[in-house]
Amino acid sequence: MKKTLLYIFLISLTVYACKKDDDVPAIDPDAQVFTLQVPRGFPYPSVPADNRPTNYRVRLGKQLFNDPILSRDSTISCASCHKENMKFTDGLPFSEGIAGRHAARNSPSILNIAYQPYLFWDGGNPTVEQQVLGPIGNPNEMDFDANLVVERLKRNPDYVFKFMQAYGKEPSVYTLTRAIANYERTLFTGTSKYDRYMYDHDSTALNASEKNGMTLFFNEIGDCFHCHVDYNFTDYSFQNNGLYVNYPDSGRARITLKASDVGKFKVPTLRNVELTAPYMHDGSMATLEQVIDHYASGGQAHPNKSNVVRPRPLTAQDKTDLVNFLKALTDL
Amino acid sequence: MKKNIYYFILILVTITTVSSCKKDTETPASTEETLSFHLHRNVGTADGIYDSLYQTASGRKFNITDYRFYISNIVLIKGDGSLYPLTGKVILAGPSAMEYELQKVPVGNYKGFTFMMGLDSITNHSDPTTFGAGSPLAVQTPSIHWDWNSGYIFFKVEGKVDTTAAANGSADFDYLYHIGMDDLKRTIDFSTNAFSVVSGSPHELHIEFDLLEALSNVDMRTENMTHTMDNFPLATKIADNWQAAWSAE
Repeated sequence: MKKTLLYIFLISLTVYACKKDDDVPAIDPDAQVFTLQVPRGFPYPSVPADNRPTNYRVRLGKQLFNDPILSRDSTISCASCHKENMKFTDGLPFSEGIAGRHAARNSPSILNIAYQPYLFWDGGNPTVEQQVLGPIGNPNEMDFDANLVVERLKRNPDYVFKFMQAYGKEPSVYTLTRAIANYERTLFTGTSKYDRYMYDHDSTALNASEKNGMTLFFNEIGDCFHCHVDYNFTDYSFQNNGLYVNYPDSGRARITLKASDVGKFKVPTLRNVELTAPYMHDGSMATLEQVIDHYASGGQAHPNKSNVVRPRPLTAQDKTDLVNFLKALTDL
Repeated sequence: MKKNIYYFILILVTITTVSSCKKDTETPASTEETLSFHLHRNVGTADGIYDSLYQTASGRKFNITDYRFYISNIVLIKGDGSLYPLTGKVILAGPSAMEYELQKVPVGNYKGFTFMMGLDSITNHSDPTTFGAGSPLAVQTPSIHWDWNSGYIFFKVEGKVDTTAAANGSADFDYLYHIGMDDLKRTIDFSTNAFSVVSGSPHELHIEFDLLEALSNVDMRTENMTHTMDNFPLATKIADNWQAAWSAE
């Protein structure tokens, strides 16, 4: 009996050794997990264990992001409303969906999306992966069904090959959402004049007006920093900033159903804000000057309005300086 | 090489011997038996069949084109009062089946059972793309998940209804009841419906849900649309009727 066991052991060894000799895996650099290139001064974001970045995944995600195959009539891609040359926004108050329809809210930039604790203006979606389903299924955006997108992808040998390369699996809603999220997590912003001043310690990076704007931004006079804070200029909280007395869009309350959340929206990043007009969840303000005037006025009365939004004695020069500082948040 | 073949045969023989030994020792003592729901989705006393015409208590005509709901967190109450949760079991009751196998449970007497209509908050907010295609929670299940608030539709009923004031027209106006969100899950109580599970005979719990009862205080002429968040009072009203809509067959 002991001998038999020994034989089994020896045979297994032989078989194992043979196998090893035959398929020594060629190291494919595009399949290797790589480290995200995070802007200096930024922490490393948390990345789901099942969706670490590789070149195959990022490339596939980018192709899908730019492919109108995601929409019912194959006219709209993610890039239609998140244009790379517009800092991944589209310049419209409300983005255009298929057949001339309009999304209900302003298209936010997806730069630095890796840090978002939840997605959408009302925070109703918990992960970058699941977020992918939102615009695909929204009747005013792509008006489609992720399962039908997958059927299209499966009929495309090029895509099937690339999904196998990226995830070792054929196209599915799981791999579709992973791939797009994988690409989106590589999109960072953090190379502005402000970063040069702040993280590279280059005191000449900002001029006098921008520096005064920065002081107002971070002190109790301008008071912007209560919500627009840290490396991404947001604390991701939900705030009512006094835009309206009656909100046609209930914002966060749509998710929580709480009256105390009516008119609250997720605080957006201010990076590249100069290039991402119009502003607010509904794109109702066309210029940064209008935005500063709004906050200086204290906004409309609303029971949920943030305490920080109240009238502020800013001079014309202060306002100009604040706008100049905001423009110093544009990537160089 | 020839020797290798002998060894291989030797291995095969060994494996066969070992597994047959195992079989002998595992002669079933059968202390467990399969438990299932035999579940009817009714409209009044009739089965809810898509595109059939029905009438509300007040004689208003309507049909159904979708009639599905989630059941989860099933808990059996054993004879000694202890709880036996069927952890992880989720059912999407729909038109394709009346039999829903739950799992093997210990034979013996049970005082009753409870279950949740809807999903607990952890399951409700899980990623639908991570479930296998056969799961009731899979993203492949048609139109039963919201991505705007990332949760499941617990109870989905759609069709057409006659909205004429005198209720003498035809069922041609779309109605839609999509009930979801954590606040609207409801625990359904069958805690006094005793049953016994005996060895050798799979047991079925016969239960039925009556849509007319679930809509008993809903005027389908005017109250004909809720996605929950856009008409929370109506959604709450329907969810609050769920317990009364259930009965043992």
